[in-house]
Amino acid sequence: MTKLLEVANLTVGYGEAIAIDDISFSVARGEFITFIGPNGAGKTTLLNSLMGVLQQASGTVTFAGEDLKTLKPEARVARGIVIVPERRELFPGLNVEDHLRLGAFLRRHEGRAKMTAALDRIYTLLPKLKERRKQLAGTLSGGEQQMVAVGRALMAEPQLLMLDEPSTGLAPRITEEIFEAIDRLKAAGMTGILVEQNANLALSVAERGFVLEVGNVVAFGEAGQLRQDPRVLAAYLGAGDRYREAMTDT
Amino acid sequence: MTDTVLFLLVDGLTNGLVYALLALSLVLVFTVTRVVNIAQGEYVMLGALTLADLLQGRMPGTLYLLIGGLALCAILDVGRWRRDWRQASLYTGGLIVAGIIALALTRGALALHLPVIGMMVVALILVAPLGALIYRFTVHPIPNATTIVFVIISVGVSMSVQGLGLLIWGANPYPVDPIAAGGVMMGPVFIRYQSFAILVTALLAMGGLYVFSEFTLVGKALQASAMNRLGAQFCGIPVNATGALAFLLAAAFSAVSGMLLAPLITANYEMGFMVGLKGFVGGAMGGLIDYPLSLVGVMIVGGLESTSAYVASAYRDVLVFSLLIPILLWRNTRSRVEAR
Repeated sequence: MTKLLEVANLTVGYGEAIAIDDISFSVARGEFITFIGPNGAGKTTLLNSLMGVLQQASGTVTFAGEDLKTLKPEARVARGIVIVPERRELFPGLNVEDHLRLGAFLRRHEGRAKMTAALDRIYTLLPKLKERRKQLAGTLSGGEQQMVAVGRALMAEPQLLMLDEPSTGLAPRITEEIFEAIDRLKAAGMTGILVEQNANLALSVAERGFVLEVGNVVAFGEAGQLRQDPRVLAAYLGAGDRYREAMTDT
Repeated sequence: MTDTVLFLLVDGLTNGLVYALLALSLVLVFTVTRVVNIAQGEYVMLGALTLADLLQGRMPGTLYLLIGGLALCAILDVGRWRRDWRQASLYTGGLIVAGIIALALTRGALALHLPVIGMMVVALILVAPLGALIYRFTVHPIPNATTIVFVIISVGVSMSVQGLGLLIWGANPYPVDPIAAGGVMMGPVFIRYQSFAILVTALLAMGGLYVFSEFTLVGKALQASAMNRLGAQFCGIPVNATGALAFLLAAAFSAVSGMLLAPLITANYEMGFMVGLKGFVGGAMGGLIDYPLSLVGVMIVGGLESTSAYVASAYRDVLVFSLLIPILLWRNTRSRVEAR
């Protein structure tokens, strides 16, 4: 398998504070990997840095053989690196279809027929978006907003899809719907990086996983192996998770 | 009595429409780039004086400003040559071509003695790009600066442009021909044709902006950058380009407003600041984000200006700017209610 993304000794910081400390990993074409870990571990920082929103302090990020260091976010989107951000970052005053069209902003010269075909594909994958086509994003439910964010990202025809906590704040049924869509994308050959707090869910989708704690990778391996790892079991799959669920329920 | 009221109404409406184009510019710039642009009025001055030069057969000084700006743009881009010489040469080539086109267009227009409307278009083509250039020099290098930093920068831009205006045109006022001289008696009031021209142009500008932002993908991208800069970047929308576009369109609207206003009051190097501030008072009504409310605001400003000019002309500007106090109080109570 050829490597699509190669990250070597990546360090990212906010001023003096280091949020990602010397991380290396790679993603092969057609592979889905996941980063799991608690809040503040640096998962979102990692994706924002790969997206070019945050400057890397040191290390190299190579995508399809090209060094990304100086590229701005829009240039990275043009190369096929697309993110579904944690906070969704939608445009409250624009409707669902506008979002999808803007997702394909860089491909706007490819013509009306291609745009319509792309829209149809998204509507087949996420049928709820078709019902809500003309609704303003600001008036959608959390789950629908997440679907818009996913649909908008897919309109860019990503080579590498990065999903930042797609389950945050969503009801289990909606989360299931979103992850079904992710499963279908994966089956169609999509390459991806999934960042999740819900380790069970993440390891059920991804082939390989990395456990991130305060900016360091503390464990990694095949998803199946990680599920058996005693440390991971204790921290992310066992009592800890149940505790967190109990906290959020109240 | 009714004659006077009607006259003041027409006068107020005309003023209001001129300020409306200013308020439109201010809202456009603020929503897309978060810049409260105190310098917006300077494009009014540049538009008016450029038109005055063109109509009197002189090479407009704006052309030199434009060419100087394009050259500075090329110099600022010099770092790119090492990284990506192809892109850099395309960019510099584009700037040179733009300069040559501007020069050719101006010379052609002067040789052909175009009518006023034609000259207005040429003046617009010379002034509008200055907006994008000023964006390139002042906002582009520091995209994450705070609002207050941008306010201070825009005050600096305003002073510099006014200084350049004084240098190029001197302190003398210049007369500017209207699109159509004369006017028509409508009932008891005499209405100048120029007032109709202002009405039509203002409506066309607003309608044009509406159609552009609602029915084109680039217009939607402009709205998207206004609503969520990060989200726009994640769509691959180049936010620096949309910012420059907002500045360019705003400069165009303001320049048009200056060209329409100049025949009524004559053009000089310091006319822009006042007009800009009055547009700002109107725009403040909509919090610089709400187009319809800003329109209401500028109409109130225009109406108050013409009435106070009639009742107590010495206090005209004082009264108009005092309007800012009730407007800000009203916005304050409104935002508190919303916060609750």
